[in-house]
Amino acid sequence: MKYLEEYRDAEIAKSLIARIRARATRRWTLMEVCGGQTHTIVRQGLDELLQGAVEMIHGPGCPVCVTPLEQIDKALAIAARPKVIFTSFGDMLRVPGSDSDLQQVRARGGDVRVVYSPLDALALAQRHPDQEVVFFAVGFETTAPANAMAVWRARDLNVKNFSVLVSHVTVPPAITAILDAPGNRVQGFLAAGHVCAVMGWEEYEPIAAKYTVPIIVTGFEPVDILEGISMAVSQLEGGRHEVENQYARSVHRRGTPPARARVQQVFEMTDRRWRGIGEIPMSGLRLREEFSAYDAERRFGVADIRVAEPEACKAGDVLTGRLKPTQCPSFGTRCTPEQPLGAPMVSTEGACSAYYSIVKHRAAEAAPAAQ
Amino acid sequence: MCLAIPGRITSIRDDAGLTMGVVDFGGVRRDVCLQYVADEVSVGAYVIVHVGFAIATLDEEEARRTLEVLREMNLLDELDAMTASAEPPSEEAGNGP
Ligand code: SF4
Repeated sequence: MKYLEEYRDAEIAKSLIARIRARATRRWTLMEVCGGQTHTIVRQGLDELLQGAVEMIHGPGCPVCVTPLEQIDKALAIAARPKVIFTSFGDMLRVPGSDSDLQQVRARGGDVRVVYSPLDALALAQRHPDQEVVFFAVGFETTAPANAMAVWRARDLNVKNFSVLVSHVTVPPAITAILDAPGNRVQGFLAAGHVCAVMGWEEYEPIAAKYTVPIIVTGFEPVDILEGISMAVSQLEGGRHEVENQYARSVHRRGTPPARARVQQVFEMTDRRWRGIGEIPMSGLRLREEFSAYDAERRFGVADIRVAEPEACKAGDVLTGRLKPTQCPSFGTRCTPEQPLGAPMVSTEGACSAYYSIVKHRAAEAAPAAQ
Repeated sequence: MCLAIPGRITSIRDDAGLTMGVVDFGGVRRDVCLQYVADEVSVGAYVIVHVGFAIATLDEEEARRTLEVLREMNLLDELDAMTASAEPPSEEAGNGP
């Protein structure tokens, strides 16, 4: 096994693991809600190194993975129209909709383009005034300030051929929904460092107090994650339940106030469906009425699309910790990164994709002659 | 896709009321919106950047270390996306950094 070997702070990581093991008098169950953390935990084998002391459940921390099927179908419907340039972050292109994905729409002649930033999409609209440019605004609170600014700028600069298909989600309502679910096993959370870089951690304080769970704002490097886990275990062993900040180098209690303010000005909270999980009250962001002119759902008349999710994908069970990705009957057979059945197999931050690459890696190590 | 990566500000300008700048990510340079951290930064400062927006500040040593770790862990998708994105806005400006 190569756990942590290519990681330069491996010695620090190992001593943190020893410390967590020494402190845990029983097995604690924690959840991370950050795709970057999931990627690190699975790739570096942290969950296996902690086996017996801590079980990590990989929560719904990948925004690509939780974007509901109906929003994907709306994107596909808009992208297929003539005179539309549909823009998106690259990782949305292969997320399966009901019967196709954005890449296939592009192959059939739709003008689908990958942009790095929503401002790139706005610039594209300025360059192509005779076409409609639509941006697929997905993401957590980390991405919301960027998407809010693109809409704000469009209004400032009076760019009329620009609109956004919004599917934003926010983390605290998801944590609450997981804690409220019958049979919940999660006893503490690692909160995503970059979400909190924007938002701070004030919102998490009432959750920690009400549900008596420690919530640790944590970075995404192996040492960060192990420190976050160690802080959570210390709290649990000491009977404490507070919000603590492991990621002090980037996160302050109030986050980045100008970014929060712009998000507030452009978006408001709304109920939102999460792929595989279902509707979570007040867990999404949508455009405020005064920005409705930039709402692609209205502009293209797709707001009413509603679809049922396929049974074969167990993403909901995976994202809430009821199943490990490897326990999904489709894992590695009907569902692979090349032919994903569900969104968690698409993004490198998705739990299924992270497991898939590690299972492959170990198989190759176990049988080097075969490769 | 919530990852933000650190870089160093090499120039700052006002773009019709929006504070923009060029940020160097260990060799790759990119136009970045600095509006949300405008009160805290000047040229030479380190920021963490997500989808073209600086969302927080960082000190230099921390920024270097983080970039190295990201590279080791193959978590630099964000940087790939930057270089691969079809039509960067700087191309439109016609006067690169
Ligand atoms: S392995 Fe594929 S089908 Fe199974 S839960 Fe993951 S994404 Fe869905």
